[in-house]
Amino acid sequence: MLGIAYGELVQLFRNRLVLVTSFIMPIAVSAFFVYRHEIFADIGSLGYIAALVVFTVGAFGLYTTAVTTLASRRQNLFLKRLRSTALGDSGILGGLLLPVTVLATVQVVGVLIVLGVVAGGPSDVVLLAVGVVATLAMLVGFALATAGLTNSPEHAQVTTLPVAIGVIAVASWIGLTGTEDLELVKRLVPGGAATELVLNAWNGGTALSESLILLAPTFAWVFLAANLAARMFRWEPRR
Amino acid sequence: MNTSGDTPVIDVERLNLVYGEFHAVKNLTFQVRRGEFYALLGTNGAGKTSTLEVVEGHRTPASGTVRVFGRNPRDRAAVRPHMGIMLQESGFSPDLTVAESVRIIGALTRRDDSVDRVVDLVGLTTKARTKVSQLSGGEKRRLDFATAVYGTPELIVLDEPTTGLDIQSRDELWAAVDRLREGGTTVVLTTHYLEEAQQRADRIGLMHQGVFHREGTVAELTGALPGVITFGLPSQPLAGVPALPLHVERQPDETFRVATHRIQKDLYTLLGWAEDHGIDLIGLEAGPTRLDDVFRAID
Repeated sequence: MLGIAYGELVQLFRNRLVLVTSFIMPIAVSAFFVYRHEIFADIGSLGYIAALVVFTVGAFGLYTTAVTTLASRRQNLFLKRLRSTALGDSGILGGLLLPVTVLATVQVVGVLIVLGVVAGGPSDVVLLAVGVVATLAMLVGFALATAGLTNSPEHAQVTTLPVAIGVIAVASWIGLTGTEDLELVKRLVPGGAATELVLNAWNGGTALSESLILLAPTFAWVFLAANLAARMFRWEPRR
Repeated sequence: MNTSGDTPVIDVERLNLVYGEFHAVKNLTFQVRRGEFYALLGTNGAGKTSTLEVVEGHRTPASGTVRVFGRNPRDRAAVRPHMGIMLQESGFSPDLTVAESVRIIGALTRRDDSVDRVVDLVGLTTKARTKVSQLSGGEKRRLDFATAVYGTPELIVLDEPTTGLDIQSRDELWAAVDRLREGGTTVVLTTHYLEEAQQRADRIGLMHQGVFHREGTVAELTGALPGVITFGLPSQPLAGVPALPLHVERQPDETFRVATHRIQKDLYTLLGWAEDHGIDLIGLEAGPTRLDDVFRAID
């Protein structure tokens, strides 16, 4: 698995387009949020900036890159090649997704640390970590499922838009309007409960029991994404 | 896992493979023995690659059983360390170099070998640091072969290995396969180059429309059909010459063809007839049936 991960990392840094999409663009956007944190904190909160960072990096650095990578590896039959070896399916997928997942996690953690230093840190680090991990896990699941519908890396530019834009929109909507209105709807939409977890973890002021309730819809989406991935992912191009 | 003794290396029993409404492989049964060179040949769409893909564990059969070294071929962790696979299409990452590709794929086979040795074996040493995207089609086939023979597996499956290779590369590939066979490696081949199968295969399975049309050694397959004598005659009229005492077919190109199970006797008759009447036979050829003829006789 680590051999595949090494190969993916090498390719990530050799392909400038992927490097810009997965690494530089999310960092640049996140850096902008942190740099103008006073404005974003005024219209929302610091937790809102944290949620935007998590979902922006997750959507572009992880989700879109993972779909593009998987579609590309399937299109050129590299997945079939890997399945001709002794490594199992989970090891192959683990190797392919490990570099982008680690890079996205490092980006999120790095930007949130900078945000904490610049504007003040989170109230509950553990809760924040749970929210971040659940969000990234959900997006990995969605990436595998979306890759099943994506024939080529070019096609990924279209197929990734609904989820990528959708989760960032959800994070913005809940970050700006809170959950006083339409609480149930906001907690049930994909990424909604995870956004609220990040908001609560960063801003504080909410009872832990209130936040723990959010784990149910958050992990339900992780489970649903994993289920969709298992059903929709394809190893070979359509005949 | 049984990788020695009398157990067939590959054991296919009543295999059926279906794509939607299309029944690609129908009740196929065959075995490949240890150390054997087995060629799976057939017309386009006969089901060869589909059959191989089940043997390789890439496809699940609709029914029937397939065993490789006595195990389910989908049990990759158990089977693949003993089995090298050369796919019909390359399947390498374009941004990795030749050496990186061999190192990564080779390590995943769980067999030990040297990347430099394998790259040298397929004549890609000067391209070791070249990206796959910059290789020619033939060079990609050689890279594919390198990953298949990495670590000298006990079984190699070659799906049209020489397509796109020049003559020298073909010779080098077959020389490498011959060396593997000397070490006891079992070889399964599909190819459109029938002379390659005719020269090397111990046994041939001839597929047509998803079933075995025939199976056997080259001698068994070709022996059932008559040998062939072909010749031309001078353009001047053969006035007063008695008819040739053989059943002769006139071909569209004005040559003549004798199909016979007694090739030596009939050739003697033909030569005697020509000698007796002072006739120079033009372009005389005689030989046993070739695999090409067996192929043409399928329909």
